[in-house]
Amino acid sequence: MDPRRAQPTGTAPQASQVRPVWSLSAHAARLITLALTGLIIAVITRRPEFVGVAAPAVLLLTARRPERPERIGVSASPSAMRLSEDEQADLQVTVTGYGDHSVDLIVHPRFAVVPGAAGGLGDGASSLPFHIGRSGRRSLGVLEIMLRDRWRLIEGRVTVELPTVDCYPRPAAQQTRVVLSRLPSRLGDHPSRSSGEGMEFTGVREFVPGDRQRRINWPATTRRGRLQLNTFAAERTQNVVIIADASSDVGEPGSTPLDLAFRGSAAAAHAYLAVRDRVGLVVYQRSVRWIAPGLGARHYYRLMDLMLADPRVTGRLSLAGGITRLPRAALPSGSLILVFSPLLDRRLVETVRDLRERGFSILIIDVLNAEPSGRTDGLSSLARRIWRMEQEAIRFSLRELGIPLVRWDGVQSLDEPLAPYTRRVMVSRR
Amino acid sequence: MTAARSASAAGLLAAACVAWSAIPLTAGGAGTALLAAAIACAVLSAARLALGASPAEPVAFLNPVVRAGRTLADLARVLPWAEGTVVAVLVLEALHRSRPWHTGLLGAALLAYLFATHLAETRARPSVLRPQAPLIAAGVGLLALAVGAATLPAGTGSTGALIAVLAALAAIVVAGLALPL
Repeated sequence: MDPRRAQPTGTAPQASQVRPVWSLSAHAARLITLALTGLIIAVITRRPEFVGVAAPAVLLLTARRPERPERIGVSASPSAMRLSEDEQADLQVTVTGYGDHSVDLIVHPRFAVVPGAAGGLGDGASSLPFHIGRSGRRSLGVLEIMLRDRWRLIEGRVTVELPTVDCYPRPAAQQTRVVLSRLPSRLGDHPSRSSGEGMEFTGVREFVPGDRQRRINWPATTRRGRLQLNTFAAERTQNVVIIADASSDVGEPGSTPLDLAFRGSAAAAHAYLAVRDRVGLVVYQRSVRWIAPGLGARHYYRLMDLMLADPRVTGRLSLAGGITRLPRAALPSGSLILVFSPLLDRRLVETVRDLRERGFSILIIDVLNAEPSGRTDGLSSLARRIWRMEQEAIRFSLRELGIPLVRWDGVQSLDEPLAPYTRRVMVSRR
Repeated sequence: MTAARSASAAGLLAAACVAWSAIPLTAGGAGTALLAAAIACAVLSAARLALGASPAEPVAFLNPVVRAGRTLADLARVLPWAEGTVVAVLVLEALHRSRPWHTGLLGAALLAYLFATHLAETRARPSVLRPQAPLIAAGVGLLALAVGAATLPAGTGSTGALIAVLAALAAIVVAGLALPL
């Protein structure tokens, strides 16, 4: 079962009983206007044809109305409580106890929620499609239920607050991985420099007592006249710590550096966890939040939940020097650190420098895709040029420290900018 | 698509009602003012249907021009322009000399306009009016009877009185049949 599809309670949603607010419809108000105007003019001008003009409206207004239900049962639950960006889902709505009235459902969506075309209410149940355009913990909005009698003169209105859904960032495409030259001595999938029990052939050496006979290389033995043995690379895992810089949310909503940082982080987490690497996450926002490196599919969802967590509630360390004060478990020595950042926050830049000086292998993925907007006069253009030069200076100083930096626009696959570092092992420098 | 079709129908019917009630054009301050009011109400009523519901996003971060446009649109949404159209058109019709069949057609067109406006507002299909069809038919029958009664000359003697009584009886019967529905 896909864990994202799991309902939090595991049971069908309970229908809540709500009391509709009844009122005269706008249609009824218009019919009353037509009837009254026609009758008044008929009396004043003594012209019976105006009574005829009022007659259909009067007939409709005096028609017998069905019983109004005191309460109706309403349940509204999304088909999945956890979604990815732009993933289609349905809001299952059930209305009961509405009698002979017709039911119209109107969704008033909140930020980033995009409702699809609403279907009719067949047998008291309806499925309203929607998707969420931006990651985060999103309230779906408000569901307005409108009851109308058969003459459409009386309206009963009910509003229901819809649940909150976790929308995970849509992972970018990434097939390849950056692998360090020095790996910790823990079994994994990456061939290391040291020989061991892996699958990748590294060479031939002379047999010594105690070696496994099944690894004897008979052609080499025949040529040299002494027993020769195949050697293989040991397969090791690596620790990967992803730093997602969520401190800057500038530009077009949906493709801001924050969105790109989260999508890139999700892609990296997915790619490394797929080869059984241990992946940790540090979210750099109003405060520093982290999860120590771990393994497995469940860990992926823990990482995603950390991205969505409210920084005001779950913040652990202040930004000033927060990452450098992380415990060793959260930032193990010898880890590969991937930083998804627009490098707009000077404190993060200083932190990255500090981590490099402490011997960590760092790779920065630059997700800056916006620049200050404003007027196009000379002074503004000059200010923008100075800003660009400052940004270039920051990136130059990081490269000078030996920190590789690649630019990612959020559209192309992450494999393309990372290609120079994924084709061969990345040398860990101390 | 259904709502757009209903909104177009409502706009066309409003224009037709205004034109029908204004012809023949009579010179005079009140008539011209009423005609202007009717045109304004019809145009704003159509604009209200075209604007649809108010967008949910806050206006706090919009520039002043867009914010002013949003305020005007909200004003168009709040005021009852369709009711204004009905009143202005009927008063405009009453300003003309007696012509019952003309008024009868205007009444039918106004009723259609109100239904089209309702369908456009609620984005409902015309089939939702099916339960009302007998009542609407009865109402149109009453309208036709009233127009017929008005067409009769005042001094036709006993035949005219008989027809008027029959019309009244028919009206009562039709109303009696329609009410229990």
